[in-house]
Amino acid sequence: MAAMESERRRAELLERIGSRFDLEPRVAEDGTAWVSVREQDLGDCLAFAKREGFDHCSAVSVTDWPEEETFELTYHLWSYETKVLLTVKSRIDRGKATVASAIPLWGPSAGIHERELHELFGVEFAGNPDLAPLFLEKWDGPPPFRKDFDWRAYVTETFYEEGNPHEQSYRD
Amino acid sequence: MAKGRRAADGYDLYFGPVHPGSGNFGVKLTVEGERVVAARADPGYLHRGFEKLMEYRTPMQNAVLSDRLCILESLNWNLVHAEAVDRLCGTEIPERAKTIRVILAELSRIQSHIIWYGVLSKALGFDTGFKVAFGYRDYVLDLFEFVTGGRVYPAGYICPGGVRRDIPEGTKRRIVELLAKLERMIREFEAYDSKTIAVRCRGIGVLELDDALRLGATGPVLRASGLSADVRRDAPYEIYDDLDFEIPVREEGDAFARSIIRRREIEESIRIVRQALGRLTAEPLPPVKPKTAGKLPEGEVYVRNEIARGEAAVYLRSVGESHPYRCKIRGPDLLHMIPVLEHLLVGAEVADVPAIYWSLNICPADMDR
Repeated sequence: MAAMESERRRAELLERIGSRFDLEPRVAEDGTAWVSVREQDLGDCLAFAKREGFDHCSAVSVTDWPEEETFELTYHLWSYETKVLLTVKSRIDRGKATVASAIPLWGPSAGIHERELHELFGVEFAGNPDLAPLFLEKWDGPPPFRKDFDWRAYVTETFYEEGNPHEQSYRD
Repeated sequence: MAKGRRAADGYDLYFGPVHPGSGNFGVKLTVEGERVVAARADPGYLHRGFEKLMEYRTPMQNAVLSDRLCILESLNWNLVHAEAVDRLCGTEIPERAKTIRVILAELSRIQSHIIWYGVLSKALGFDTGFKVAFGYRDYVLDLFEFVTGGRVYPAGYICPGGVRRDIPEGTKRRIVELLAKLERMIREFEAYDSKTIAVRCRGIGVLELDDALRLGATGPVLRASGLSADVRRDAPYEIYDDLDFEIPVREEGDAFARSIIRRREIEESIRIVRQALGRLTAEPLPPVKPKTAGKLPEGEVYVRNEIARGEAAVYLRSVGESHPYRCKIRGPDLLHMIPVLEHLLVGAEVADVPAIYWSLNICPADMDR
């Protein structure tokens, strides 16, 4: 019964999002909802989702597509009320990867994910006051989770001594 | 544990990152007199780059890696990862494997809560509680060793496709005996309460529900602040839909409420394991053999589970290769150890810091990944 109610509310919600942003939401086999919006609609779509009761920003993620010169941002949102999981996706230009912070909507719970993504992918989140590195100390290389970061070469150059016969196998 | 430096307007006090006190993680406190006026989390000591590592490995190899996402509840992380791969591939899991997964995930939850009780006791200077808890934990580890071969790390026992192999003969009897011991343990914990945990934890580190939502709290931390939310009930996976269990909720939001919730959860997990044992049918389960040449179908999934600490999730993206293209891991502790902890410590007394810190049951491993 509860599952049917959740399905009905999910269908209504997706219809509203679909008509508002002129897109076709997808419902996966596991019942999760997925929408892809244009970059200029991302902020509005997230604000719309928040108003619709998606109180929990479960995670924010970035997928790097260097060949298409884009970053894909994914916002995984959960509604405690309707028990619907919604993922909002948007592609942004990899060359000038700046997007508005979701802190006004979800507070520090979104801010901390943005801080991580800034460090690992180099995406700027305008309006996030704290984008200090979380994990890497004194890192001066490129954002390390980008697909075009050659970590093998970095490790070889940084940690293995040239001419050391014991470490030669790492260079072969 | 702490190293002090006089500052013009007070003290900088480092809580951590020495392992036995704070667990591979630190928080820098600014203290005036006995009061904390600012707190800044200092993560990164356990960053191993799992998300990137997983882009270079097959799902079966990643199942083994997923053990290390949280040392304290590795089977639960095994399960989140395995489910993400299963859903991406559309794999049907045999009923018996699902039941075994749930039994082990719940025992892992119990085991994790026992560690939490131990370290909280240790942080409060109640050494007996620590020793009693870790003594009982070993009984659970004995069972993990018997079933998976590993005490702390099960080497990806819960893997894509089910579980690596069927449970050995005699497991059911051992679990029944184990549960009886764990019930005795809960009574012991309760008997200690009035003179130990309650005295030090009641009324401190109060997290209001609005703040809990804003700061991204999940799991027992959120439920201790008054919201009844649990992925096992709200978006059931495996066989949770068919099981009868309660979600303990408290309104107070303080460190003591969080401690009561976890103890009640051990009782509920025992109920779940008993029901799951009753559902274990006799048909044999063939072992899952690692596929070396298999390819992940193109697509993406976001799978959430309820682990001991809160909401755990995996976002898996595949472009049809043998390795995932992107794997994002969402652990509860990135939120609990940075925004929630920093919020709770400001305004607290220095003497209450360890109690507040461990009332969140933090794990640096799943924060840093």
